[in-house]
Amino acid sequence: MKSRIYHTESEDETVALGEKLATELPTTAVVLLIGQLGAGKTTLAKGIVKGLGAAAPDDVSSPTFTLIHEYTPSVYHIDLYRLDTAAQVATLGLEEIFDRRAVVLIEWGERFPELMPAERVDIRLTGTGECSREIEVQWIQSSPPCKVAPVRNRNEFRAALRSSTLPH
Amino acid sequence: MKILGIETSCDETAAAVVEDGTTVHSSVVASQLATHAKYGGVVPELASREHLRAIVPVVRLALEEAGAGFEDLVAIAVTEGPGLVGSLLVGITYAKSLCLARDLPLIGVNHIEGHIHAVILQAGASIEYPALALVVSGGHTHLFEVREGFTYRLLGKTRDDAAGEAFDKVAKLLGFGYPGGPIIDQLAPHGDPHAVKFTLARMKGNTLDFSFSGLKTAVLRWVEQRDLTSEIEARRRSQATSAEDFLPLTPQPTLDLLASFQHTVIAELLRRAVRSIEEIGARSFIISGGVASNTGLRIAAREAGLACPVYFPTPALSTDNAAMIAAAAFPKLHAGHFDDFSLRAQANLALA
Repeated sequence: MKSRIYHTESEDETVALGEKLATELPTTAVVLLIGQLGAGKTTLAKGIVKGLGAAAPDDVSSPTFTLIHEYTPSVYHIDLYRLDTAAQVATLGLEEIFDRRAVVLIEWGERFPELMPAERVDIRLTGTGECSREIEVQWIQSSPPCKVAPVRNRNEFRAALRSSTLPH
Repeated sequence: MKILGIETSCDETAAAVVEDGTTVHSSVVASQLATHAKYGGVVPELASREHLRAIVPVVRLALEEAGAGFEDLVAIAVTEGPGLVGSLLVGITYAKSLCLARDLPLIGVNHIEGHIHAVILQAGASIEYPALALVVSGGHTHLFEVREGFTYRLLGKTRDDAAGEAFDKVAKLLGFGYPGGPIIDQLAPHGDPHAVKFTLARMKGNTLDFSFSGLKTAVLRWVEQRDLTSEIEARRRSQATSAEDFLPLTPQPTLDLLASFQHTVIAELLRRAVRSIEEIGARSFIISGGVASNTGLRIAAREAGLACPVYFPTPALSTDNAAMIAAAAFPKLHAGHFDDFSLRAQANLALA
C-alpha cells in the first residue's frame, strides 16, 4: 500500500493538487474522497475533473442531491451523503459504473465499505486551519503485495537469476 | 388539448394531465400519495427499480383523476434530463412505448425548463418578458434570462452546493434530520437574523455565480466552537419531526444561528437576482424549485422593492412534479417541435 501526504493552504492549491493527482490515476480507477463536511472533497474533485480534461472547476458542483454527475470523457462524481442504507446504494448500479473505463470519484463511499472495490485510491482530507488542508493519498491494491523485491537493473536481474528465486 | 407529462429524473415518479398549458387536471407524485398501497406499498426513491414499480400505476392514476383516456391526449411529454440516467430511462422508455402504441407524438422536456413552467402554468399571461428565472432546489441553483418564445440564457449557477442542499446539510449537522430545509424555514422566525454575521461569498469570474459551500462550513465552524453536542444529540434522539416539536429542543443561540443562516442564503439569492433584473431589464421575476416554498425567501423577495413583479409556484408545483413537464411541452407542441424514438436520457442536459 503506497501512501503520500500533501498539504494545501487554499482552495486554489487544493484544486491544483487534484489536477496533479489526476495525471497519476490510471484510466480506470475508483477514488474515495473521505472527509467531514467542508473538508474540501468537492474542491479536490474539481481539480481532478479539470486534470482529466473533463470540465472546468466552476462547472463541477456538488452531486449530493443528484447523486451522480457524469463528465465526458469518462469521469463520474458520486455522492452518497443522503443515502442511509446499503440497499439504497445498491440500486444505483455502481458496479456497472466501476466496470466502465472511467475515473469514478465517490464522496461518503467509506460509509458503505462492502460496496466499494478492493482496489482503489483513498484520499483523506482533514482541515488543519481555516483554509489549510492535510490530504493523504493511499493506493490500495487488492492482491497481496509482491514479496520479491522489484528488480531495478540488469545486474540485479542477473543476480536474481543466479539465486534461482525466479522460475526457469 | 391535453398533454400527459411524465417525470422520473431523480427521486420522484410523477405523471400529470395538463390542458392548454394552463389547467392542471391531475398531478400525481408517487411519494405524496396518501396510500402507497396503490402501487405496491413501497415509497419510491431514487432507484430506477422504484420508478419501474411506480410508473404504470402513477400514469394510470393521473389519467383516471383527470377523467381522460389516451384518446383525449394530443401528445406525451417526458423529462429527458438532467438527472440520473437510470431513472430518466424509465420515464423515457415508458413514454416512447405509450406513444408507439397510441400513435401519439413524443415531446422531450428539460427538467429545469419544467421548473420555470411550473410558474408560467399558473401565472400565465401576467408574466411579461424578458423574465428572470431563479431555479433553486436541492439539486439546482440557476439564474436564467427567459425571453419571449421561451429561449433561455444562463446568467449564473452554483459552483458547489445548491441552496437547498446547504439548507438540508445545515439541518442535518444540527440534528434536525435530513432533508430538514423546511424545518429551518419554520424555526428561523424564532431567531435573530442578524445575530451571527456570515460573510457573503465573493465570486471570482462570473459574479452572478453562487457558492454556498463556504457558508455551510462557516456554520460547521460556529457549531464546533461551541459545545452543542448534547443539544444536537437530544434532537437526534427525539422523535421530533415538526418545527413545533423541535422548538423546545432548540436553545435561543441555535435559533439565532438558523435565522442568520437563512437570512444569508436569501441575501445571496436576492443580491444576484436584483443585479440580473437590472442587467437584462427583466419585466418579471420567476422563482421556482423546492426552495421557492421557503417562506423567508417569499417574504424577502416581495419586500425587496424589486423593479418587477415576482411570481412563485404553489408549494405542490415547487418540488418535482409532472404538471410542469406537461406545461413546458405546450410551446413545443405549438411550434411543432416533436421528438422521435431516438430521444435519449441526458444526465447533464443543459438548458442554456
